[in-house]
Amino acid sequence: MNVKKALILVSLIILVLTLSAAFTSSALGHYPLPLSGVRWLASWYLYTTLNPQYPKFTAMSPEAVTAIVWDYRGLDTLFETAVFFLAIVGALALMRGISLKSLAESNETTTEGAGSGLSLISKTAAKLLTPLIIAVSASIALHGHLTPGGGFQGGSAAAVAPLLLLVIFSVYFLLRRGISEKPMLTLRTAGLLGIYLTALAVVFTGLVTGVNAYVFQNQPKFDAPVGIPAYLFNTLVSGSLFLFNLSEYLAVAGGFTLVFILLSIPEELVMSLIRGEEHE
Amino acid sequence: MIGLNTLTYLFMALTSVISLIATYLAVLEKDLIRAVVYSALQSTAYTILFYLLMAPDIALVYVPVAVGLYPAVILFLVKKTERIDGELGSVEGDGGK
Repeated sequence: MNVKKALILVSLIILVLTLSAAFTSSALGHYPLPLSGVRWLASWYLYTTLNPQYPKFTAMSPEAVTAIVWDYRGLDTLFETAVFFLAIVGALALMRGISLKSLAESNETTTEGAGSGLSLISKTAAKLLTPLIIAVSASIALHGHLTPGGGFQGGSAAAVAPLLLLVIFSVYFLLRRGISEKPMLTLRTAGLLGIYLTALAVVFTGLVTGVNAYVFQNQPKFDAPVGIPAYLFNTLVSGSLFLFNLSEYLAVAGGFTLVFILLSIPEELVMSLIRGEEHE
Repeated sequence: MIGLNTLTYLFMALTSVISLIATYLAVLEKDLIRAVVYSALQSTAYTILFYLLMAPDIALVYVPVAVGLYPAVILFLVKKTERIDGELGSVEGDGGK
């Protein structure tokens, strides 16, 4: 790095520090700084998120963030999930017609040697780390209604495990062990189906029992007396929150793994297939 | 005697400055692999900030996405194109190694 770049960097740091100091000491005028106390809306969420004394308001989850994400504003999260899976549908559409199974079989003999993948140290470390990553991600996702975390957090953490194997071994290592596009697509679809069924479960119950019910309803409300039970075998599962977290965990882990397997297909193969399609 | 709050704020300021330096280096760097590493360093600083600002949910999603998945996508892209920015064709056949 030469002197000019270092000078720019130092002046950038001084600029940022001076601006923040001026902002804190109100030298730039009085901007509304965040209040120190808990605001009205936040205190409403904190008051109702786990409050069995108000069964018509509560979400029955001590984790206010997960309660807001999947209960108070659940429809928002549904559309976020839809956007994410449209992106995966796009990746699948780009890579259509590429058969991963034949790819794995054609490379059966060439990739078994010691020359493939990274060094033995990396491989051993990856073998030790993979179960740990899966366990941590499962705990993040399945405890999402009790502690910080949730389906998306857990799912993206779980996707790091196949990614690690993909980089340190090879894509053929995963394909030969059955982690290919079809099972991942099934996992993703199962997750999405779980979200869909959980969102409609209370409506179906309402239709069967003849009472009013809402889409994305969790606990019973004033004009809709049905809901998903908050306790299962005396364990707090927070009704739909646990089901949503579980489904989102499967869907996100499957979706990310699918995209990484598609991305790691050798470039020559993709190009030859795309060119082949043009000639037909 | 400096209080715990002041120490936390000072540490947050230090982390922010580290993220600023890492971002600047990532923008300037011509070697894209090193730029990805600088970007991951910036993400690590942000994760600490999120945690200290009491947003553990965001920190939990930020760690796998910004340190694991996002650099991996960029690395796959770099592998499919070329490693050094702005020198078209000069590293032919070296990008994947």
